[in-house]
Amino acid sequence: MTDIAEHISPQAAPRESLWGELIHKEDWWAIWIGLGLIVVAAALFVDGGTLRWIAVAPLKWHQPAEVAAQLREHWAQYAALLVLWAVLFGIGAKGLRIKLAQFLPAFALLYVTALALYFLGQWDQASHYNLEPPLVALALGLLLSNTVGLPQWFGSGLRVEFYIKTGIVLLGASLPLTLIAWAGPVAILQAGIISLVTFATIYYTGKRLGLDPRLAAVLGTGGAVCGVSGAIAVAGAVGAKKEQVSIAISLVVLWAIVMIFALPLISRELGLSTGVAGAWIGTSEFADAAGLAAAQTYGGYAGNVPGIAGSADAAVNAFTLMKVIGRDIWIGVWAFVLSIVAISRWESTGVKTKAGAGEIWRRLPKFVLGFLLASVVVTLVTHGYSYAEYKKSVLPGLVAPLQVFRVWALTFAFLSIGLTTRIRDFAAVGTRPFYAFTVGVVINVILGFILSTQVFGTFWTRLGQ
Amino acid sequence: MSSSEPRCESCRHFTRAAADIEALLPGLRTLSSAYAAVRSGDGLCSVHDRYVAGYGHCELYRDGPAPV
Repeated sequence: MTDIAEHISPQAAPRESLWGELIHKEDWWAIWIGLGLIVVAAALFVDGGTLRWIAVAPLKWHQPAEVAAQLREHWAQYAALLVLWAVLFGIGAKGLRIKLAQFLPAFALLYVTALALYFLGQWDQASHYNLEPPLVALALGLLLSNTVGLPQWFGSGLRVEFYIKTGIVLLGASLPLTLIAWAGPVAILQAGIISLVTFATIYYTGKRLGLDPRLAAVLGTGGAVCGVSGAIAVAGAVGAKKEQVSIAISLVVLWAIVMIFALPLISRELGLSTGVAGAWIGTSEFADAAGLAAAQTYGGYAGNVPGIAGSADAAVNAFTLMKVIGRDIWIGVWAFVLSIVAISRWESTGVKTKAGAGEIWRRLPKFVLGFLLASVVVTLVTHGYSYAEYKKSVLPGLVAPLQVFRVWALTFAFLSIGLTTRIRDFAAVGTRPFYAFTVGVVINVILGFILSTQVFGTFWTRLGQ
Repeated sequence: MSSSEPRCESCRHFTRAAADIEALLPGLRTLSSAYAAVRSGDGLCSVHDRYVAGYGHCELYRDGPAPV
């Protein structure tokens, strides 16, 4: 018997029905919240209204007195936005069975911290001092959680994936369906190449180093497909040991955080355009939250750092197409294929399972559906507008408020990454898993760079324009 | 495995609740989540010390909720 028995809740979780999935999985709550905001915004826009009042965000400032002036002028809007987010995420947290008495105060504190961070990012000297909000959020969170520590109740509000998925659904509102259809196939091709090569590298390196095939497969999927989420999806499908899951989590988180800082820095030194850098980050970062932090950081350089071509949104757009459409969506397929291999080729675990194609749907990251639906809704609502009309009315009345909501959701996520990363929680990974995963990271980064800048460079540059 | 065999998800040795999974796998919530759809109905088996699919089955199955 293991330490697992000591952590089991007195009452076992009931078996999940189809309807239970809709209220007990955060992917679905990200859809309800993100898509709900989009539908309300679209309905208001069609009726001549807008969500602009409540979609409040700090403006550029130079002197601290300007910050105080903005807060005095817009305090009611910031308060209303806090209530809106607290209600929406609070209902979601309730559905996820998270205690509201802990979640709501924790979220309020997170919101206030995010507001301060948002203001910092709007300082006109922020780029000069490398104070990009995602990086500051991460660094601040890492510092606090690994030095003074955080009260336990605050942890309830730090739901990285809940916020990032909501942000990605909202991001769908900024990407027309035509753009997804145009760039999606290239993203799938590039991501397919990188996923196969990275998985094969980690898996066969691990095997040569004598790792258990299940550990090699879990590490390979973590590096090739979707970070920790990919690793746990495959771990469940193949029946990996608990310690193998912990090793994969530690290695992915460690390297993902290194990449958040490294990829934007290297891209900046090389003067990559925002579209190209976003594609590279989407190819070579492991997790959605970490990649969006890096992509949004790089997008922030556009117009602020000399020599960085492309629009600010291009980095996030290219990243999302590459990561979400090119990589995340295939998690179920990887789990299905590897579960067949595990049953037919690897030593039995003692637990019998039967691989089925239903695995593909069960493990599909459902928030991707929300992302695509969001694009469909906004594409339909804005269909028929000329470019001039789009710039004049659609952008400020519909798309811009949704972009503001998205930035808020992502900021909550970026803060939560650092605040939940506790180095002392990292499992002892051992040298062989470390080498296997690191070889895969190196190959992934180099190949991702070549594909993004040379093979498909022209394409991603055009996306940024 | 026949469809009538009891599945891991109803076994007393199986932990599936998201909060418990996050407590047992520190770091999971940093860049993922036990509430994610990709996790499907997976959970931790205290007998085999493995992270297994809820639809699995083994000879050590024990019916009923975990002892307090």
